Amino acid sequence: MSAPQINISDVASLARLTLTREETEKFSSQLGQILSHMDSLKQIEMGDVPEVTPPAQPNLRKDVPVPSLTLQAALSNAPAQANDLILVPKIVE
Amino acid sequence: MSLAHESIASLRRRLAAKEIRCRDIVQDLLQQIDAREKTIHAYTHVDREAALAAAEKADPTLPLGGIPIAIKDNLNVLGDPCTCASKILDGYKAPYDATAIARLRQAGAIFLGRTNMDEFAMGSSTENSALGITRNPWDSSRIPGGSSGGSAAAVGGRIALAALGSDTGGSIRQPAALCGCVGLKPTYGRISRYGLVAFASSLDQIGPLTRTVEDSAILLSALAGHDPHDNTTDLRKPESFLTKPDASVKGLRVGIPKEYFIPGMDAETEAAVRQSAEWFKKNGATLVDISLPHTPSAIAVYYILATAEASANLARFDGVRYGRRAADPRDVLDLYHRTRSEGFGPEVKRRIILGTFVLSAGYTDAYYRKAQKVRGLIRQDFGKAFASCDLLLTPTSPEPAFKLGERTQDPLKMYLADVFTISVNLAGNPAISLPCGFTKSNLPIGLQLIGPRFGEEKILQAGHSYEQAHDWHKRLPPT
Repeated sequence: MSAPQINISDVASLARLTLTREETEKFSSQLGQILSHMDSLKQIEMGDVPEVTPPAQPNLRKDVPVPSLTLQAALSNAPAQANDLILVPKIVE
Repeated sequence: MSLAHESIASLRRRLAAKEIRCRDIVQDLLQQIDAREKTIHAYTHVDREAALAAAEKADPTLPLGGIPIAIKDNLNVLGDPCTCASKILDGYKAPYDATAIARLRQAGAIFLGRTNMDEFAMGSSTENSALGITRNPWDSSRIPGGSSGGSAAAVGGRIALAALGSDTGGSIRQPAALCGCVGLKPTYGRISRYGLVAFASSLDQIGPLTRTVEDSAILLSALAGHDPHDNTTDLRKPESFLTKPDASVKGLRVGIPKEYFIPGMDAETEAAVRQSAEWFKKNGATLVDISLPHTPSAIAVYYILATAEASANLARFDGVRYGRRAADPRDVLDLYHRTRSEGFGPEVKRRIILGTFVLSAGYTDAYYRKAQKVRGLIRQDFGKAFASCDLLLTPTSPEPAFKLGERTQDPLKMYLADVFTISVNLAGNPAISLPCGFTKSNLPIGLQLIGPRFGEEKILQAGHSYEQAHDWHKRLPPT
């Protein structure tokens, strides 16, 4: 089976990216090539291979509150803020 | 000889004997930076005044007391910019220290500056930096490797004693090989990634780039250990990895995987690596021919899983909480789209799109799930190999440093530069790259030693023995 045609604009929109026409053309051909390479995986016989386990078992700490970033530190990089809140464009009509 | 040419181990001895002061080391390094940085551009920022001030207050009795270290620009250092070589982090200042940074601070290290990288650690040549390219210190018409190309060029170019890097698919080892220094990717779980800007969280590891294997062990000893802020870190007590001066390779079973010597690889690289294997044999090690049969699938598996994880990790850069925000957004969607489209460079966009695609409805099983399963097979290959071997010996990169601009238009060809390093990240094992020769045109060649999980001590000892018997690491780049 050949690599699927990837609809770059749709996928870009899912990723919240807007591409220029040049980027769309370039990425279409480059990603087509990359996906063809990835299609080589289809030839690998899998048999009964289980889903892969995580690369490390998580060592969770006890669920107790510990000091964290101060409000001031957490807001220190916000592009726009007021009253200890981050300002964003209106999202509710 | 400038102090900038010495190893950390040697400088520590001289500091302890009060032959030199911390200030002398920083000054010598700054002098070398003044002479060479214009050509190499290894740094995104040199912290001249802060480093000199820290040297005055340094405590040389600490394990890294007064030792200046350069830091890849994707690690948070309290109060410093952390650009990830991206426009999207314009103006960002770290509100906290990464755990690796806090540990170096505790050990007395001085932070010399921030090193250049491929944007968000995505690349193999450091040409994907929004802050300009870095040049190879051995030949300025060539790439330093990537993504920790600034760290490797600084250490290889003798304008840093040591640097931190991060390695998701070879980003410490490949540039170390191409710049003639030592690069260690520890076992997944060995060093906390808290405060490292995440690229692909099931693969990312922090590690040191140094002049010698002994220095690599010194830094690993300072960095390793459990951190409640990164629950993948291993609970066992941090050990000391310090190399024994009389380490021998006698009795070691050294696996030579046939898939790592492939048609089309550079002949001088293959010859140098095979000669290194012969050195191990001559000194009492047994060479074992082995196979890691799923190696040819590693690139495809990696670029599915790493991009899928990146597409999720990089969703946080949306112009809301930190970094760049597009001017006068119409609504919140416009804010996201324009911030991200203006802020990310082409390789980052390409990978986010690829990662989003392999996770999108209808394609997850064919790509993401399949790749996860093949990753399991790659890990099994390593498990089987270490049943009959103590370590594996391979080239780090199939070729020496290539020319600037040679691959920027062909991403697939660029991805193939990581063919010998990627499997190790997929399996989670530790591996070190160290110099093992030079081409006729004086370009460094790297040897990779891969250990079993949490077997850093084995590869450090073996690498140290090899290094003691050779002087590749002492050769200086042209000035």
